[in-house]
Amino acid sequence: MVVAALCVAPISGAKRLAPPQNHATAEAPANAEPKPLSTRVVAYQIQATLVPREHKINASETLTYKNLTGQPQQTFPFHLYLNAFQPQSTFMTEVRLDGTRGSSSGTSWDPKHYGSETVTRLEVDGMGDVTKNIHFIHPDDNNTQDRTVFQVTLPTPVAPGASVTFRMDFVDVMPEVVERTGYKRDFYMVGQWFPKIGVWWKNQWNCHQFHAATEFFADFGTFDVKVTVPQDDVVGAAGDLVSSTNNSGGTKTLTFHSEDVHDFSWTASPHFTDVEDFWTGSAGTVRIHLLMSPGNMATAPRYLQALKGTLAYYDKNVGPYPYDRITVVDPPHGALDAGGMEYPTLITAGTAWWMPKGLLTPEVVVAHEFGHQYWYGMVATNEFEEAWLDEGINSYEEVKVMDALYGPKTSVINFPFAQMGDAESQRVSYLSMPDYDPLTRFAWQFVGDQSYGGITYGKTATVLLTLEKLLGENKMRDVMHQYFMRYRFTHPTGADFLKTIDDVSGQNLDWYFNQAVSGTNVLDYEIRDVRSDPVKWYESVSTGPRVYRSYVTVHRKGDFVFPVDVKVTFDDKSSTTEHWDGRDRWIRYTYERSAKVAAAQIDPDHKVWLDRNFFNNSRTVSSYDSTTHKLLNIWVFVNEWISQLVAWIA
Amino acid sequence: MLDMAIDSTQRAPRPGPRAFFAGAGLVWTRQRILWWILAVNLVLAFAGASFLAHNVAENSGVALNTSLESARRLFHGFDLSALAELGSLPQQPLRGMSTMYIWPSFFFTLFMIFSTGGILVSYYDDLRLDAAGFFEACGRHFWRFVRLAIYFAVAMIPIFFLGSLLGSLYDNVDDAAVSPYSSVAFLAAVIVFFLFLLISIRIWFDMAQVISMAKNDRRMYRMLGRSAKLVWNNFGSLFWLYIRISVIGWVVFAAGLCLWMLVLPPESTGVALLLGQAMIAVWLGTRLWQRASETEWYKQYRMALYQPVPMPPPPPAPSPVPEVETLTPS
Repeated sequence: MVVAALCVAPISGAKRLAPPQNHATAEAPANAEPKPLSTRVVAYQIQATLVPREHKINASETLTYKNLTGQPQQTFPFHLYLNAFQPQSTFMTEVRLDGTRGSSSGTSWDPKHYGSETVTRLEVDGMGDVTKNIHFIHPDDNNTQDRTVFQVTLPTPVAPGASVTFRMDFVDVMPEVVERTGYKRDFYMVGQWFPKIGVWWKNQWNCHQFHAATEFFADFGTFDVKVTVPQDDVVGAAGDLVSSTNNSGGTKTLTFHSEDVHDFSWTASPHFTDVEDFWTGSAGTVRIHLLMSPGNMATAPRYLQALKGTLAYYDKNVGPYPYDRITVVDPPHGALDAGGMEYPTLITAGTAWWMPKGLLTPEVVVAHEFGHQYWYGMVATNEFEEAWLDEGINSYEEVKVMDALYGPKTSVINFPFAQMGDAESQRVSYLSMPDYDPLTRFAWQFVGDQSYGGITYGKTATVLLTLEKLLGENKMRDVMHQYFMRYRFTHPTGADFLKTIDDVSGQNLDWYFNQAVSGTNVLDYEIRDVRSDPVKWYESVSTGPRVYRSYVTVHRKGDFVFPVDVKVTFDDKSSTTEHWDGRDRWIRYTYERSAKVAAAQIDPDHKVWLDRNFFNNSRTVSSYDSTTHKLLNIWVFVNEWISQLVAWIA
Repeated sequence: MLDMAIDSTQRAPRPGPRAFFAGAGLVWTRQRILWWILAVNLVLAFAGASFLAHNVAENSGVALNTSLESARRLFHGFDLSALAELGSLPQQPLRGMSTMYIWPSFFFTLFMIFSTGGILVSYYDDLRLDAAGFFEACGRHFWRFVRLAIYFAVAMIPIFFLGSLLGSLYDNVDDAAVSPYSSVAFLAAVIVFFLFLLISIRIWFDMAQVISMAKNDRRMYRMLGRSAKLVWNNFGSLFWLYIRISVIGWVVFAAGLCLWMLVLPPESTGVALLLGQAMIAVWLGTRLWQRASETEWYKQYRMALYQPVPMPPPPPAPSPVPEVETLTPS
C-alpha cells in the first residue's frame, strides 16, 4: 500500500503500478481495436470549470447520441437532476411529506441546500440553435413547478441508425451537500450534474423526474471530461486521468476518459489524502484510490480490506470486474449525505473519527457501494421503476460478502457484549413495514421512505436468502453468475432476472415469486401448541410401559404459503422431523410414544429468512426463563442508574 | 448571628482531607442508609422493568420463555437484531421500553428529596438514628428541600439556554473546521465547562441543604445566599472534595461495566445481577459519600471557628506591692 498526500497533483497511480492487463481487451486479437463492452449509445464531451467562491460549475457539453431506437426520433428528453433542489420541485414535495436519506419529513429546507441546473444554450449540429424549443415535462406527477426533466423537439427527425450531436452550455449551482451531491466547505462531490439524455426503453422514452426515493437510469457510452479546479485540489473522478495542465490564475485542468459506463462524477478537495493500492483479479489489475478526508485516516485500512475482499468475492462468484480502476471517496465530516453512493468506478463511503472497530459501517458501505458496480453499473437496471433489481440484489450480495469476510453473526456489529449479522440486519429492515408494497412497485410510488428502504433493500435480500436455502448455495451462486454474465451492459428487467433463476434452477418458481416479489404476502408460521397426555388404560390396546399421546399444532399465521420442516423433540432425546407443505392454515401431528414431547420447532435449520417472527417458530413444554431474567436484569440495572442520575437534582 | 457573619466572610480552616476520609467512614458506619436506599431504588426499578419482562415472557405472539430462538439469539450472546425483531412485531412486546424509567425515576427522586433530611442529620449529628428519629428528620426537612429542588430547576434554566447557545456555537465550529478534531476539542471543552458548572451548582445546593439542616432554618432562599457565599469563599476545598469522590465513582462504575461486558459470559445472569447491583451500590455510595463529606466538612468548619480563643498569656506581674499585713481583729 502506498500512502501519498498529494496536494498539488491529481490522483494518478498509473506511474507507480503495473498497467492493468487484459481489461476489456481480453477477447480482442493483438493490434485490433478493443471491442466495446457495451452498446455505446452516447458520447459525452464535457468541459467544466468550478467556481469555488460561488459554488458554481460553468460547463459546456457535447453529446453525440446514436439513434438505435429503430425509428426516427425528433423529440429528446433530458434529466436536469440538480433542479430537484428547488422549493417547489417534486423531490422537495416528497421530502416534506415523508423524508428521504439525510432529511426527515416536515423539516424546513435550508436555502443553502438549494441547487439548480440551467441550460443557457442548446444547439444541434445541422439544425442550429434550438434553445427556444426546450420545455419542461412532468411525466410522473404533472407538477408544473418541477424542472428536473426537459424535452427538446428538433426541427427534423433523426433517422434510425444516424447520430445527432447536441451542444449546450449549462450552469450548475451546487447545494451544500444534500442527497448525494454538493459542497461542504471546500469539498465538492459533483454527481448527477450534467444534462443527461433519457433512455429509449420498451419502445418509449424513459426519463423520469427526480423523486425523493428514486435513483438513476442511463445509456452506456463514453465520457471525455475536462475539469478545471484550483491547483491545490486533489481530484478523483470516474475515469482514467489522461492529462493534467496547470493554468494561469491558480487553476489546473484535468482530462478524464471513461468508456462503457453510463454516468460520470467527480470530487475535489484540497484536503484529501490519496491512499493508493491495487488488486489483481481475473480481468487484470485494478488501481485503487482511497481519497481520505482529514480525521478519518484510521479507517483507510478498513476500507481497503473491505474493498479488496469484495473485489475478490465478486470476481470469484459473480464475474470479472472489467475496469482498471476504482476510487473510494471518504466524505469529510459534515458531508455524510454525500456518502454511501455509487457511480461507475467511483463510490462514496462514510465513516467518522470515532468509528469503533466493532461497528462495521465503513465495511458495509464499501461492500454495498462496490457491489453496485455490478448491478447498477454493468447490469444497469432501471432504478426508477425496478429499484429492487439493483439495491435489493446488491443488498443480498452485500450479505454474502460481509458474512464471508466478517462472519455471519458479526458482520454489522461485533462487540463482545452485542452482535448483529448483515442478514439479520436486512431482515429487520424488511420487518419494519413488511406488507405495504411489493418489490415491483415504482420507487416513487411506495407508501413512504421506510417502506421503500425496507422492501427494496431488506425484503429483496431476505427473499433471495430464503431462495438460496431453497435452491442450495451453489445453485444460487450460479444464478447470480449467470444473471450477471447474460445481462451485463444491458438493461434487463425483473422478468429477465426471474427467468434466469428458473432457467438455472430448472424449476418453475412462480409460486414463490408471485408471493415474494409481486405480492405483499407475509410469511409467519408458529407452533401453536405442544402437549402430551398419558394414554388411559381403556384407550390402550397393549399392556406395557406407560404411553403418551403427544400433539403438536403448527399454524400458518400469514398469507404466504411456504413448505417447512417441523422438528419434534421428545423428552428421551429422540426426535422426528416432519415436512409440511403449508397449504392449509394449520396441521396437527399426533404421536403415541413412551416419551413425552419436549419441544417443537419450525424450520430448525433456519432456512426461511422471510418468516416474520422467529420467536414463535418454536415452543418448549417446560418454561425456561433465563432469557427474560437476563433482559430483566439489564433493564432493572439501567432503570436504577437512570433513577439515580435523575435524583441528582434532589 | 455570629454564624451568619462567619459563613459569609471566612475561609474554611482547611478541613478538606479529614472530611474526605471522615465522609467515607460515615457512609460505612451508617451502612443501613445505603442499603435502604438501594432497596428502594431496586424495588422501583424492578417495578418499572418487570412489566416489560412480563410482556416478552407471556405475550401471545412472543413467548420468550418457551422459545428456543430466544436462547439462541439473546441468551447465548446478545444479538441486537433479536431486540429489533421483537420491537417490530405487531404485538409490540417491547412497547414501553423507552419510557419504563420515567415513573421509577420520578418516585426515586421524590424519595431522595424526602430522605435527604434524615441522611444529613444522621451524618451531621453522628447519631445512629432510630427509625422514628430518621423519619422525623426526613419530614422536618422535606418541604424545605422540595423548595430547594424547585430552585435548582430554576437555576438550570439559564444553563439550558447556555447549552443551546454553545450547541449552536459548536455547530458553527464544526461547520467551518476542515478537521473534525477542532470541533471535537471544542466539544470536549464545552463538556468540561458544563460539568464544572453543574458540579458547582450542585455543591452550592448541597451546602444549602447542609446549612439549613445544621441551623434548622426553613428560609431556603436565605440558605442559598449563605451557601453561595460559603462555597464562593471555599470553592477549591469543596470542589476538590466533590470531584475526587465523583472520579472514584466513575472509575469503579466503568470498571464494572468492562467486567460485565467483556469478561462475564453472556449466559451469566446470577453473577451479572450481583455485579450490576454492586455497581449501583457503589454509584449510590459515592453520592452518599459526597453528602457525608460535605456535612463533615461543614461540621469541622464550624467547630474550627467555634474553638475557644486561646487566652493570651497573662500580663507581666505588676511590680511587687509591699505586703501589708492585715490585722485581723482578734
